[in-house]
Amino acid sequence: MNRRLYIKSVFGLAVAGAASFSIFKWVSMNRAIVPADLIHKKEMLAELAELIIPQTDTPGAKAAGVQDYIIAVMLNCTPAKEQNKFIDGIAELEDYTADQYGKEFLKCSLAERKAVLKHMAKNSSGYSYKILNKINNKLFGKPFFLKLRELTVEGYCQSRLGATQGLAYDYIPHTFDACIPLLKNQKSWATK
Amino acid sequence: MYISDKNKQLNTYDAIVIGSGISGGWAAMELCKKGLKTLLLERGRDVKHVVDYPTAMLNPWDFKAGLNNTIKDRETDPVQSTAYSPADKHFYVSDAEHPYVQEKPFNWYRGYQVGGRSLTWGRQCYRLSDLDFEANHKDGFGVDWPIRYKDLEQWYSYAESFIGVSGNRENLPQLPDGEFLTPMELNCIEKHLGDSIRKHDEHRLLTIARVANLTRGWDHRGPCQNRNLCNRGCPFGGYFSSNSSTIPAAMATGNLTLRPFSIVTELLFDEHKQKAKGVRVIDTLSNEVHEFYAKIVFVNASTIATAGLLLNSVSSRFPDGFGNGSGQLGHNLMDHHSSAGAYGVHEAYTDQYYKGRRPCGFLIPRYRNLQDDKSLNFKRGYNIQGHGERQEWMDKAQSIDGFGEDFKAQLTTPGPWTIWMAGWGECLPYFDNKVSLDNFQKDKWGQPLLKIDFAFRENEHNMMTDIQQTSAEMFEKAGFKNIDTFNYNKPGGSTIHEMGTARMGHDPKTSVLNKFNQMHEAKNVFITDGSCMTSSACQNPSLTYMALTARASQFAYEQLKKGEL
Ligand SMILES: Cc1cc2nc3c(=O)[nH]c(=O)nc-3n(C[C@H](O)[C@H](O)[C@H](O)COP(=O)(O)OP(=O)(O)OC[C@H]3O[C@@H](n4cnc5c(N)ncnc54)[C@H](O)[C@@H]3O)c2cc1C
Ligand code: SF4
Repeated sequence: MNRRLYIKSVFGLAVAGAASFSIFKWVSMNRAIVPADLIHKKEMLAELAELIIPQTDTPGAKAAGVQDYIIAVMLNCTPAKEQNKFIDGIAELEDYTADQYGKEFLKCSLAERKAVLKHMAKNSSGYSYKILNKINNKLFGKPFFLKLRELTVEGYCQSRLGATQGLAYDYIPHTFDACIPLLKNQKSWATK
Repeated sequence: MYISDKNKQLNTYDAIVIGSGISGGWAAMELCKKGLKTLLLERGRDVKHVVDYPTAMLNPWDFKAGLNNTIKDRETDPVQSTAYSPADKHFYVSDAEHPYVQEKPFNWYRGYQVGGRSLTWGRQCYRLSDLDFEANHKDGFGVDWPIRYKDLEQWYSYAESFIGVSGNRENLPQLPDGEFLTPMELNCIEKHLGDSIRKHDEHRLLTIARVANLTRGWDHRGPCQNRNLCNRGCPFGGYFSSNSSTIPAAMATGNLTLRPFSIVTELLFDEHKQKAKGVRVIDTLSNEVHEFYAKIVFVNASTIATAGLLLNSVSSRFPDGFGNGSGQLGHNLMDHHSSAGAYGVHEAYTDQYYKGRRPCGFLIPRYRNLQDDKSLNFKRGYNIQGHGERQEWMDKAQSIDGFGEDFKAQLTTPGPWTIWMAGWGECLPYFDNKVSLDNFQKDKWGQPLLKIDFAFRENEHNMMTDIQQTSAEMFEKAGFKNIDTFNYNKPGGSTIHEMGTARMGHDPKTSVLNKFNQMHEAKNVFITDGSCMTSSACQNPSLTYMALTARASQFAYEQLKKGEL
């Protein structure tokens, strides 16, 4: 049974009756992660983030140090349940890579890495009902790919390089101009 | 406690003000300007303008984990952490250190420091009108306000002229105009919605928010630099806070003594004179107990704390709390609701953008029950507050798929125009919504914990449904797409407009204060924070506290001169 189906079926049980939801599973989902498990993945996280926001004419996620942000938020600001979901996601990604390409993720070519991430993305597209997604995310945490992308986006857009080069940053705007023509190649404002 | 005459003299002032937040700052300034030696007591630490705003000039990347609170923050401060972020956490209390009892879920957001919540408030400033002052009288819910708009009008002007409020004059009976600085500007999607609203309903109107943000230099402060980081404290003095405005003005008179780290635990009653003689204070640095004396006392600890302080001040004359002959003290707790509203996306104006971060949104003043409308299933009304913008990275990340170059390109360019708006609704004064003391649990200074028992009722819930409907309607007529109506169902306290626990009224049997915020049963005690409110109206209330405070200060001073106090 693949992970998604598994989760779906557990979810079905949880809806059918809270009692049928295994206490064992609950405890294991809520165990605190070992920080080193995540810190050791820093290089891999940097590459994954770079796949999401690559270097183009502006810096990419790796140059912006997004991997440090992901680790900081994961370790300090994320509930155990979601930490575990994330760690499990990394493991799943590694298993899948090994399965498909017979090597480690970091040894894969760019095309292979992209394919791996694409697979993970497909795996987290969620249910077609918004409300089920909400409940699912609440009970089990956001799917790995979505969490990874969310952290990458936050980390990038609030980093020095991301905010000032990837986006447009106005430290002290002085004036407020309510309606002005959009410039050609106008970047979004980094802050609201 | 024995106090020698000399110490008593040292500890004696003309006036004592309890609490240095929005209303206490005003009381201190007014009394000092009239020449009264005034002691301003504040339970928290001192926060000096500019020097104590440590995050005000930080960039987004200066926060290691962004604006996410840590797990530890969420555990120690389950309530406050839903309001603060690493950028302004230092202006909120710690729930662990300052616990309270929620008999029903209630978010009691607080800032214990010099300046109170004037540092973190949203700065929306609206006058109440006679529609509000007459409401209780007309529909019989709650006691009649002992004042009308004409009693407060000049004091609103006085307060606005001092703090500096930007806004647009609209000539509406239900929302009187004030003394305004140049308004901030609406952007093109907000103008679009405004035009559509005006075309479809003559009673509705969309205007720029009226805010205590300075669009030009004012009283040695400002102008606002359009950074929208006000809740961190403003180094430019671009918005009104006690710290930037009233407290320095009070200090400048030479009459102010500011004493931080001073928890007032009790008002002291003089049986002989039937007046307050002073207050008892715990010094939080030394844990010593002090008494301070004065001819008049202004209580401005903020609604819930004020109710607690009075309930805790018992004597043989007042076994149920100071000035509580009516039995109303602690009751009639109100908070606005602001959970219900709508969000919509518009496809037009894709060639338009903006520059700068306006620190406010727009307002659609109350349009419901301007006349008592029998077809509606609720009393009173609401206004709508919201803002329009183009989707930026935080919004777009939710809606674009995939990853890579294309994802990045979309993420970093402006998305469609959107508007988020919600109703700020009136809450009726229910006797059962109340603050009381817990007789068993104490805080770390040995003071009883406060218990808050509050719930919104049918009237508020029906109003929320109406807010969703009328918001969606206005969006539809203006051509918005993907309209999402929501109700966050947030518990009481979430709008941070607590009021009503020591209400004003004509009759000492049903109210705590008279029409000058003077306690019916102890004439030298004045309460001018939100606890004095007889009904909640739907306007953000702090401007009214300021106007009432200035008015009560004038009255107190005159009475004092006449020897009546
Ligand atoms: C995020 C946020 C947004 C808001 N937006 C708006 C808005 O847009 N418009 C609006 O009108 N209002 C707004 N408010 C509400 C506004 O802040 C309050 O209405 C206002 O601050 C109340 O003034 P106050 O003087 O009663 O109390 P506070 O400003 O809370 O000050 C009370 C002071 O008393 C001190 N104190 C308490 N107990 C004691 C004691 N026992 N002894 C000594 N000192 C004591 C406290 O430490 C504090 O400094 C907002 C509030 C917040 C937090
Ligand atoms: S937006 Fe204006 S008032 Fe607010 S902090 Fe910035 S400069 Fe100050």
